[in-house]
Amino acid sequence: MAERDLERLMACYQRGDLSAATMLIRELSPQLRRFFVIQLSSRRDADDLLQETWLRIHDVRHTYRPGEPLLPWVYAIARHVRIDHYRKQRRKGAREEHVQDIGQIAAAPHGAHPEDDLEVLLAALPESQREVIQMLKVSGMSIEEVARATSSSIGSVKQKAHRAYNRLRECLGTAASRKSGKGGAS
Amino acid sequence: MTDKEIDAILAKAANTPPPVDSALIGRVTDLIRGSIKPVRPLPADSVLIAALIVICGAVAVAGAAHLGFFGIRRMSVVEIVLIFAALAVFVWLAATELVNEMIPGSRHRANPAAILGGGTLALIAIFGMLFRDYQTTDFVRSGLACLGAGLMHAVPVALASWLLLRRGFAVNPIAAGMVAGTLSGLAGLIMLELHCPNFEVLHVVVWHTAVVLLSGGAGALLARGIRARG
Repeated sequence: MAERDLERLMACYQRGDLSAATMLIRELSPQLRRFFVIQLSSRRDADDLLQETWLRIHDVRHTYRPGEPLLPWVYAIARHVRIDHYRKQRRKGAREEHVQDIGQIAAAPHGAHPEDDLEVLLAALPESQREVIQMLKVSGMSIEEVARATSSSIGSVKQKAHRAYNRLRECLGTAASRKSGKGGAS
Repeated sequence: MTDKEIDAILAKAANTPPPVDSALIGRVTDLIRGSIKPVRPLPADSVLIAALIVICGAVAVAGAAHLGFFGIRRMSVVEIVLIFAALAVFVWLAATELVNEMIPGSRHRANPAAILGGGTLALIAIFGMLFRDYQTTDFVRSGLACLGAGLMHAVPVALASWLLLRRGFAVNPIAAGMVAGTLSGLAGLIMLELHCPNFEVLHVVVWHTAVVLLSGGAGALLARGIRARG
């Protein structure tokens, strides 16, 4: 669905239209869930965060301005929910530290190929870069929209994307050379 | 490997996201069904920014009117123009950023710490350039009096700003608290520039600008405390 249509649905949702709200939830939930999965929450956590995000969106739906881009508004709230979740987990002392363990694409479990699996592919990136690449390349947002969603400047988003591409280039090169090395041995 | 090749790999891996469990969608819909009703979107940014500027200016002028406009009466035209133009820009930046912080997905021109730090440094430079009295008569006592008066004027601005923006939603409460504190502190500083006739460089640089720094810091700490309590 085009972003204009999503914005129209959101405007109807603000006017109290439940069917528009339902349609919006159906349309945006898959990409929001993937946002949470890619950010290294467990899949079960991703479902909880997705539900939490929609409840938060419902509570603050009056803060969306009709005519403004919708995705930065939605992702800014989703990001807030994720950060809140991390903080609560850290406070409980129960958060698993995934980030440092998943440093190398080549070490992905079950012989997964980074080229085929988005989560594995992006796992090599630091959290802030992963978030930017996910919004730019997976959700199809513009640099300006990503800057709005992450409360940062356009320059900072460009820099993170540039660094992420360098890192991906490095990791994909390593993965490709390992693959060709294996092929040569067999 | 070129950027285009990486783009192609990302596009291939991204394709269509896996569907979400329909039971989850149903659960979310059920949860919002009970409270779905029309809501009134927030007013336009320009309205909120203008309201914040009016609040800040009104409190500063009312405070100075109550205490006396002794400071501005002693200033030359150049001093008035430079100091109040800089303060006006600082207030506008803080008000704009505060509104942006309270509306998710807004465009951010500068971060609150940069506004607080950069604005304070600019004011210190202007005060240092304009004032030439390097004495420190009664430095602490008169300084504490100015600091107290400035902070007293920050409080009503903070409360009125909260009232104005209470329907907003800060995705970064600490940043919002810092910029709200900065704006409130600026009301105190403007009041001091209108009222305080003490033009000793150190007095103005240390005690007057401390109102903004302390108020900004207090706003951030307060927001952090509120967030920690959940």
